[in-house]
Amino acid sequence: MEKILLKNLGRPGFHTIDSCLVNGGYNGLTEAFKHAPESIIQMVKDSGLRGRGGAGFPTGLKWSFIPKDPTIQKYLCCNADEGEPGTFKDRGIMENDPHLLIEGMIIASYAIGASVSYIYIRGEFVFGTRRLEAAIKEAYEKGFLGKNILGSGFSHDMYIHRGFGAYICGEETALLESIEGYRGQPRKKPPFPALSGLYGKPTVINNVETLACVPAIIEKGPKWFSSIGPEKSPGPKIFCVSGHVKKPGLYELPLGTTMRDLIFDHCGGMLNEGRGLKAVIPGGVSAPMLNAHELDTPLDFDSLAAKGSMLGSGAVVVMDESTCMVKTALIINRFFSHESCGKCTPCRDGTPWLTNILKRIEYGNGRPGDVELLESLCTNIFGRTFCPLGDGAVMALRGALKNFRDEFQHHIDHKRCMVS
Amino acid sequence: MSTVKINGKEVTVKDGTLILDAARDAGFEIPTFCYQADLMGVGSCRMCLVEIEGQKKLQPSCITPVLHGMSIHTETPTVMSARASMLEFLLANHALDCPVCDKGGECELQDMVYKYGPHKGRHAEPKFKFQEKDYVLSPVIIKNSNRCVQCMKCVRVCGEVVGANVLGALGRGDHQEETSFLRSFLDCDQDGNCIEVCPVGCFMRLPYRYKTRPWDLKGKDTVCPYCATGCRMVIEERDGIVIRAKAQLGVGLNSETLCARGRFGFDFINSPERLTKPLVKRFGTLEPASWEEALGVIKDNFIAAGKNIGGIASARLTDEELYLFQKLFRSMLGSPNIDSSARWAPEAVEGFIKATGMDEGGASAFDCMESDTVLITGTHLSDENPVTDYIVRRISAGRAMNLVIASPRAMKLDSSASQIVRHNAAAEGHLLDAVTLSVYGGNVDKLRDVPGINRIKDARQDDLAGKAGCSADDIKAIARKLTGEGSVGLFAGTEFLRYPGSIPGLALLKNALKALGKKVTIIPVLDRANQRGAWEMGVHPGFGPGYSPVKERGMGCADMLEAASSGELQALYVVQSDIVAMHPDENFVRGALSGLKFLVVQDCFMSETARLANVVLPASSFAEKDGILTNQEGRAQIIRKLLPPPVKAKRDIDIIRAVGETFDRSFGPKNPVLVLDEIRKEVGMYGEVSLAFNNKRNVDNKLDLKEALVKPAGLAEGLNASGLETKLEPKTDEHPFLLATGNHLFHSGRLSRKSPTLIGLLKNAIVEISAEDASALGLMNGDKVRIKGRYYEAYATLHTRSGSKGGVAFIAENYDDVPVNRFFRRGEGVPRVSITKA
Amino acid sequence: MSGKERLNIFELIKKVVFTDFVKGLSITLGYNVRGSMTLKYPDQEKWIPYKRFRGLHTLNRDENGRELCVACELCSKACPTQCITVIPMEDDTGRGISDRVAKVWKVDLVRCLFCGYCEDACPTRAVRLGRDYELACSDSSCNLKQREELLVPQSVPESFEGGVVAASTFEASPAGLRVKADLTKTKKRPW
Repeated sequence: MEKILLKNLGRPGFHTIDSCLVNGGYNGLTEAFKHAPESIIQMVKDSGLRGRGGAGFPTGLKWSFIPKDPTIQKYLCCNADEGEPGTFKDRGIMENDPHLLIEGMIIASYAIGASVSYIYIRGEFVFGTRRLEAAIKEAYEKGFLGKNILGSGFSHDMYIHRGFGAYICGEETALLESIEGYRGQPRKKPPFPALSGLYGKPTVINNVETLACVPAIIEKGPKWFSSIGPEKSPGPKIFCVSGHVKKPGLYELPLGTTMRDLIFDHCGGMLNEGRGLKAVIPGGVSAPMLNAHELDTPLDFDSLAAKGSMLGSGAVVVMDESTCMVKTALIINRFFSHESCGKCTPCRDGTPWLTNILKRIEYGNGRPGDVELLESLCTNIFGRTFCPLGDGAVMALRGALKNFRDEFQHHIDHKRCMVS
Repeated sequence: MSTVKINGKEVTVKDGTLILDAARDAGFEIPTFCYQADLMGVGSCRMCLVEIEGQKKLQPSCITPVLHGMSIHTETPTVMSARASMLEFLLANHALDCPVCDKGGECELQDMVYKYGPHKGRHAEPKFKFQEKDYVLSPVIIKNSNRCVQCMKCVRVCGEVVGANVLGALGRGDHQEETSFLRSFLDCDQDGNCIEVCPVGCFMRLPYRYKTRPWDLKGKDTVCPYCATGCRMVIEERDGIVIRAKAQLGVGLNSETLCARGRFGFDFINSPERLTKPLVKRFGTLEPASWEEALGVIKDNFIAAGKNIGGIASARLTDEELYLFQKLFRSMLGSPNIDSSARWAPEAVEGFIKATGMDEGGASAFDCMESDTVLITGTHLSDENPVTDYIVRRISAGRAMNLVIASPRAMKLDSSASQIVRHNAAAEGHLLDAVTLSVYGGNVDKLRDVPGINRIKDARQDDLAGKAGCSADDIKAIARKLTGEGSVGLFAGTEFLRYPGSIPGLALLKNALKALGKKVTIIPVLDRANQRGAWEMGVHPGFGPGYSPVKERGMGCADMLEAASSGELQALYVVQSDIVAMHPDENFVRGALSGLKFLVVQDCFMSETARLANVVLPASSFAEKDGILTNQEGRAQIIRKLLPPPVKAKRDIDIIRAVGETFDRSFGPKNPVLVLDEIRKEVGMYGEVSLAFNNKRNVDNKLDLKEALVKPAGLAEGLNASGLETKLEPKTDEHPFLLATGNHLFHSGRLSRKSPTLIGLLKNAIVEISAEDASALGLMNGDKVRIKGRYYEAYATLHTRSGSKGGVAFIAENYDDVPVNRFFRRGEGVPRVSITKA
Repeated sequence: MSGKERLNIFELIKKVVFTDFVKGLSITLGYNVRGSMTLKYPDQEKWIPYKRFRGLHTLNRDENGRELCVACELCSKACPTQCITVIPMEDDTGRGISDRVAKVWKVDLVRCLFCGYCEDACPTRAVRLGRDYELACSDSSCNLKQREELLVPQSVPESFEGGVVAASTFEASPAGLRVKADLTKTKKRPW
């Protein structure tokens, strides 16, 4: 398959605008200015592009919610706060092909009529920030940003906002609060950002990968895009494979590729031939893990949802038989309790409690009834939190409990691990 | 309107009503921690989750508005289990030191766990502790973060209502702690609203710490005795000592808010300095005497003085006492010489009443804030009447309106204003004249016949603006806002009384706007709890009860003192007023009082005036009497007796009646209730005022009980408002600052100086100038400075305020160490002073 | 009929041999040999009650000598006769286990009905009804027991089992009458 998002990955020097232009960069933008903003939104709608940040919301539909009144100030925010453990796709794009993102953002801004856009980048991505800053400067110099871009009459300014290392700021409304200078905590919805977002103005928030898909859609047409992958969730997707495989890394594949193909064809199989596959986390740590016998699930939004998991950010974590699931659950849960923003009660007080119990079980101090307590606390947290962070923590733990309950019980009963 | 079903009961509510409000109106209880009607919803505590048919997840009812046709369930097993689980989570890291906690017994968390909660704990892990010991956050606040439920009400009330913005959250997740910046000592308004909104024992009163349990307290609903905002509060005592004042959610116009004075200034009641026995001067010293003896001396001397007698009553007394006081003078002693203020000239008072339309009945501050443009002038609202400031801030943030603030000094409320005008001190009149002229310029036809317009119509805009000290653009902008769409509200403060020359400007602006067909609502902003009541009860030389005309015009305070020094006035009866401290030119007052043959002072404390008296009568504080107070809006509110007066002290109404009874046994009525009946009969304004709202809760959170407002007097004529002028000392290089005065945020008159807590907040005098002036003089905030006037010099701490108009030095009238009235000299204008480093 | 006759014969035999009389006399004679039931109180013996006994209130300290009472006033709230008055104060010098201690803790023994509700209400087990029961005195001054008196350990330590008679001495001094028990010399009660 022709690579779209990762085409410049691993080609030294291709992050500069000169080599980018030689390779057809900003062609999508030139093409976009030939269309009216409404028709661009329609093209993105037709392409069937769905948000790559995790929720899979149709991008064109999201854009179409923005009021059409030209007198209202609108904003585009690019969510580059890539904090999900196991995810490193946006970093790949930003560090190796920053102009692809900038081009996508300009097209998106043109479509929704935003004169200002922000890239909210994770604070730890120092290298990525430098690359982006340089790229934005180059884009200004070449006239792709600033006043009257390419003579189209459309003016646009782009800023980078560095985050301060909070996972929650990847949640769109917390991201807006953070840009505005407040504590990174989610806002209440409604009103949705499309009506009242950044500084109370209509705002679109898209993931880096989503925006990077846009130039290709404009350049090659929505039909071409929707022909890749399954009908309901078309397009290329970057999978970040990590864990016990021979060749971990970024893989750009059409959606709908099965897990088995990904692991055994593309990644070269399990790291240690002697050990079989135990579980796979298909889409970042908040996605419930899949069993070895669920490997034939196609990796797309709907098939995974049907299995009770989700595609999320496409971070595939492969675990072989030597992995202790209690420890895995503890590590994942500790992450969530550390990253809980403190706004709502169940997440703030519930996730540390779960961590404490898991710690107890892992260190051999588990008590009878702890598994039931975990389950009961999961019920109490799930669906009652302010934002999906708490739900994510619960879903991950529930996935582990559902598939590997006996392993937890073994820890409690025998005060030692089952696998090591 | 939307019709929704709540637990099967169909209710129709306004669009956009929150599910929580709709359910509560329908009679269903939903517990909350983070919801408060006056604050922005955050939906973080998750206690109010309800089930909505067709939605997978439970929804927070405090931020979800109703939609037509919704079917809501608030009492299903899922909802109940959600509530219990939230409480379990809250308790997981709660300190559970209820036996020690000051909130124990009235804690919302306790109540809710008792009602909804899991009655068995499953959390067996060690709890996270923020700190081992409670830490002091300010002179009045002590904090224990281990008990926090993270409802953020303290942070929100501090930012949204008080406007101080000194609280925020540190840390993240379960380590999140609402406190000051890095737990530093707070330098804020010290109003303790964070304490009041805290549902648990996280923010606590320091003066109340470990004094009692809430169930030991006996409380009475009353009204704050300091400024004239008229905040309703409850004072509570244990074993005869008042130890707490608190505001109640949904009661009174202030709801849960109070200022530092109201919440912590009640403790003057318990002061050991209180007068407890009558004192009579024998051979130059005041010695204890019996009531009979004291009253006998008073009777003898009053008879000897005949009609050459005067009376000054404090504007903190109740309406009943003030009514009886004027009755004593007018019908018993036959003297028209009574006044209720040592500070304001009677003509200025009459002019102000007329200009603000106080004789046209009460006007609600909430109505005023409903106006499309609100102009605040002549008052430093944030310091003088803090709770009015809260109301203005809260309402102006919630709706689209123009808020214009015109003041020489910068204030906290500026951040809410859409336009701020800094004018010269004592130049309110010029500013308003300039605005009126600007309005007149565009509407000559309509305004040609407005009375008084001739005074300014030929003036030049630039001259007036120059005198006011602001730019013509500012003036035009105000005029544009005032003449724009919609109604106009005005808050007019005591500066108009202090500088009477400004009053015609206020009256003219009002008349001009009315002539344009606008609805104009004016709220007088006063600084004594019952100042308006005192005037309406007729304690004024120029008019009787209900602003009725008097047969014979008497002397005001200044005239009485003048007459005393010339020997014309022989006796003076002063009730709870400290004229030596309050009347401009202290030396003159002392001289005049020593010229009197006989001076009776009735007070709670040995004031400067009382030291000069021949007879001192021990009076009572607001906690020791029943009665009504009329606030600045004209809202009559009840205060109730909590304690008996100390030892042999008596209620003022009993003392005034006893003085009257020495002349005529039938002087009366005999008790406050009967006096009120007589007031209702005699004073038309009070005839139909409802007092039946004590403790009535405002379910709609409007906090506005209009039935308590006094009715129009129906007497348009009869007020004499002539001869109003402001005299200022000419500016010299030697004394560059014009001396402005008023009340400090923590103090009100001299009464609050007897409160140990308020003294703890601010003990020594401060003088305030603008930051620019200070840097020009090479002075810094906190420097010790020498303030030198032509007649007096004093030392105080410098306080600088950025954004204030230059050339003004502000010294509050509260300090006994720097009596500001010593700078004044009778017959001369407002003094100017110089400030140098001490 | 024969059964009734036989009964009558038994009755007759009983009457002849004075059965009832012997029965009654044996009880009387039994007391003569069983020893005295009277305690030689106060000068020789004193009854030490069981642990469950509810006598005079005592305020306890923890092992470090800090007062257990945190002046939460729950005892006074629980008291059905309202005989306990507590006024708290702040003292962080280590007097109590928390920085909240009692300024006043007094009980009016005239009103107290020794129900033990205060014990039950106490969250720190500071107040216990002890085993001192000699509460009578010749004027009403001793009816009001203050914190200072109650903090003094009682004559019978908590660990002592009780339910025994101890040897005692009777001391009459100007300060009052005292019965001092020697807990090392105890015996079972004689009944």
